[in-house]
Formats: sequence, structure tokens, C-alpha cells
Amino acid sequence: MMGMTGRVTGTVGPGLVGEVIVQIRGGAEHFLAYPAPGEGRIGVGSVVTVVEYQPPRTVYVMGVYEG
Amino acid sequence: MAIGVVAGVVLAAIIALIGLFKLMWRVAEPNEALVISGSTHKTEGIGEGMGFRIVTGRGTLVLPGVQAVRKLSLDLNETQLNVDCVTHQGIPLRVKGVVIFKIGDDYVSIANAARRFLDQQKMMPERVHIVFAGHLRSIVGGLTVEDMIRDREKLTGQTRAACGTEMEKLGLIVDSLQIHEIEDPTGYIKNLAMPHAAAVQRDARIAQAEANRLATEAEQTAFARMAEATRDSEILQAGYQAERDKAAATARQAGPLSEAAARQEVVVQETRVAELEAHRREQQLQADVRKPADAAAYQTRTLAEAERDARISAAQAKAKETELAAAAEATRVRTAAAAEAQATEARGHAAATATRVSGEAEAASTQAKGLAAAESARANGLAQAEAARAKGLAEAEAIKARAAALAENQEAVVAQQLAENWPAIVQAGAGAFGNVEHMVLLNGAEGMSEMFAKALTMGGTGLGVARQLLASMGAQQKGEQKGEGGREAKAPAATPVSGTGPGRTPIPIDEDRA
Repeated sequence: MMGMTGRVTGTVGPGLVGEVIVQIRGGAEHFLAYPAPGEGRIGVGSVVTVVEYQPPRTVYVMGVYEG
Repeated sequence: MAIGVVAGVVLAAIIALIGLFKLMWRVAEPNEALVISGSTHKTEGIGEGMGFRIVTGRGTLVLPGVQAVRKLSLDLNETQLNVDCVTHQGIPLRVKGVVIFKIGDDYVSIANAARRFLDQQKMMPERVHIVFAGHLRSIVGGLTVEDMIRDREKLTGQTRAACGTEMEKLGLIVDSLQIHEIEDPTGYIKNLAMPHAAAVQRDARIAQAEANRLATEAEQTAFARMAEATRDSEILQAGYQAERDKAAATARQAGPLSEAAARQEVVVQETRVAELEAHRREQQLQADVRKPADAAAYQTRTLAEAERDARISAAQAKAKETELAAAAEATRVRTAAAAEAQATEARGHAAATATRVSGEAEAASTQAKGLAAAESARANGLAQAEAARAKGLAEAEAIKARAAALAENQEAVVAQQLAENWPAIVQAGAGAFGNVEHMVLLNGAEGMSEMFAKALTMGGTGLGVARQLLASMGAQQKGEQKGEGGREAKAPAATPVSGTGPGRTPIPIDEDRA
């Protein structure tokens, strides 16, 4: 699960519960997303990498293309 | 038999095996999960299990009687929300919506859900409704109506934040949360919308009025243009109608006009014909009446003139003739006398000379012959002289006898003379006509005889003159005879007056000479 990339479908940011959708198990499932430490606000549509997985449906993400 | 039994047993065994296998082999459909319990199994992804195994999407052997197999549907479920809430502003609202949820696909979620809902799968929506109702109240209590209406993302996000962990606990995932309707018993939303509605209505009215104005303007402009176009069209139509009427009138008048023109032409031609006829009649009158009248007048005038001229000419000719005759007579008498004298003298001289010369020549040439010739000549001359004398005597006798006869019967002598000289008289009379080039005789044969009678009368005047001469000569002869007695004198010379023949030789003169 970690290292997978997903797409933000609900804004991820500090103080918010975001949503990302990730390709997994032959389909695509959405997970409640929190920003990885140090990450700022990640808008809808951004591509993120899952850096931490908290089962069952929580991930921590960080932006892929953020400089 | 044994084989049959064996075969039957085998077959039964096979059938039994198949049936057993069918009892033992369970297959999980795609939308369900098999929760197998009864033996310690380790499920993938679940560390220390609680003694049950989860199988999804494949078949597995289950020991009947040992293991229990339960199915957990992974299908979507929905629950209708109908929640009375109070907003952050204290405004009561009734929110209606729908939540679509399912059991998560991971084993953790399935395990959580299995533990919570395996026997209460039909009760899930109620439970979820309760959870969501509570959370929705809290969420709506944290929002204002404006936020709810205008910021759905905020609503969704807060819903996710509030419910996410709750649902995680239940092993559920929310696929969709939709707020269908927000009922507003106090009319807050309506009033909230009212200024905007009024503004919108105002703007709409303004826009409508503007649009109406523009439309009206456009319409009026269009009407004006239509009227203008109609006016122009009518003007043009009137113009064309006028042209048509004019053309029609012209066409209508063309017939009578051409007829009148033709009639005029006819009248002109008839007038011309009448003029020509009048002219012709005039010409005919000229030819028939005037010209003949002129011709007749001309003829009459010409005849009168001719007659007058003829009379004048006749008179003049008669006078001239008389005069000329008298003059000619005098001249002739004088000339004749002179000529006679000269001729006689010359002849005498010539004769004498000739005679002498010839005689001398005769005598000179031939003496004998000359003598003879002289003799003969003398004889001849004598004879001639004698003959001449005899002839002259005879002439004298004749003249004397004629004179006597004249004296006695003057008329008879004159008549004889006239008879002798008649051709000459006639010639003289005809001489009057000698200068006449054309003579038109209007009375035919009668006129001819009359004309000739006149001419002969003119000749006849000569006869009168001769008579007078003769009468005067007669008187003179009587006087001379009384005075000189028998001398013949020149009386006989008067006789040739009537005779104009030049060959006549007055013998008495020769006699005098001889």
C-alpha cells in the first residue's frame, strides 16, 4: 500500500480530512487522507503518494510533483 | 455382475464424491465475501485473526459440519436522510438527502463489518441513518445556511471528517452523500433570496423593459420603414399606373388617331384627285374650248390678215404693175428705138464694110471669080435689096393695112394682139403670185378660180392700158393722116407695145434706114 500513488478527490490539508482514490485490489478504492508531516494543503486533482497506511481506510499522503 | 456392481459402486462413489465436493466447495461471488469460521485459519492481511477466514472472489473447501460459512454482501446500500437540524445561526432546517455506502473491500473492513452486521445486514441502513443523522446535525450546527447552500465542498468535507472515522469503525465506506433538499420552515432561504430575487426581478424587468423598448423601437422603425416602403411602393405603383393609363389611353387613342390620320390621308388624296381633276378639266377646257376658240380666232384673224394682205398685195401689185408697165413701156420703146437705130446703123455699116471688104477681097483674089462673085454679089445684094425692099414694102403695106384696119376696127386688132400675146399676159399675171410662198385657199376650187380671175384681171388691166394706148395712137394717126397724108411715121412702132417678143423686128425702121 505504501508507495502507491493516488489522486486527491477531497482536499487534503492540515485540519482537514481529505480523500484520495487509489488503485488497489483490482479496483479503485478511496481512503481518508491526511497530509504527511510538513505537507501543506493539497488540492483536488493532485497526485499524491501514500507514505503511510493506517488500516483500514486511512492513509497519509504527500504530493508527488511538489517541488 | 460383479463388474456391474463395481461399476455401480464406483459410479455411486463418484456421485457421492461429487456431492461431497459440492457440499464442501464454496465459491464467493464478486459481490460477496465468505466468512468461514470454525477452525483457526489465518487470513491474509489480518494478522492474528479471531478464528475466521474471509474469502472473496474465489472458491474454497469448507468442511461441512466443522466450519460455518456465512455470506456477507458487498453490494451498495443506501439510506435516506431526513433530519431536522438547526444551523449555526439557529435557524431550523429539515435536510433531506441520501447516503450510498458499502462494506469496504479490504479484509479489515470486511472483518469489522462482519463482526458488526453479519446477522443484521438488513439493519445496516437504519444504523447508518442514525449515525449520519447525528453527525449531520452536528455538521449543520457548525455551518450557516449560506455555507450549506453555497459551499457544498465544505459540507462534504465536514461530513467526511465527522463520519469518516465512524464509518471506518463500522468497516463501511461512503460512496456518495447527497443533500437533496433543505426545507426552510421560517422562510429564511426565501427571504435570503428575496433581495436577489427582487434585484433579479428588477433587472429582469429592466431588461424586459429595455428589451421591450428596443423591440418597440425596432418595431416602430420597422413599421416606419414598412410605411416608407409602402409609400415608395405606392408612389411607384401610382407612377406605373399612370404610365399604364397613359399607355392605355395612348393605345386607345392610337386607333382613332390612326383612323383620323388615314382619313386625313384619304381626304388629302381626294383633294389632290379633285385638284387634278379640276386641273384636268381646265386643261381639257383649254384644249377643247379655248384652244379651238383661239385657233378659230387665229384662223379668222389670219384669214382676215391674209385677205387684207392679199388685197393690199393685189392692189400694190396692180399699182406697181401699172407703174412698171408704163415705165417698162416707155423704156422699152426708147430702148427699142435706140437699139433699132444702132442695130440698123451697125448692120448697115457692117454690111457695107463686109460687102466692100469681101468685094475687094473677092476682086483681089480672083478677078474672074471676083467679078462673077461681085456680079453675083451685086446681083445677090440687089436681089436682097430688092427682096428687102419688097419685104419692107410688104411690111409697110401690112402695117398700113393694119393701121387701116386699126383705124377701122381697133377692137379687132387689139383682140388679135391680145390673142397673140395672151401667154405673156398670163405669165405676167401669174407673176403676182410668184413671190407668194404659201397660199391657202379656203374656198377650194371656187377660191382658186376667183384668185385666177383676179390675177387675170390684173393681166386684163394691161389690156385696158393697151386699149388706151391704141385709142391714143388711133387718134394721133388720124391727126397725122389728116396732117401729113399717108406718112406712116412711127405709128406702127406702137404696135409692138403689146408684143413683147424680142425676136420681132420692126421692119419700118429698117425700111427707113435702107
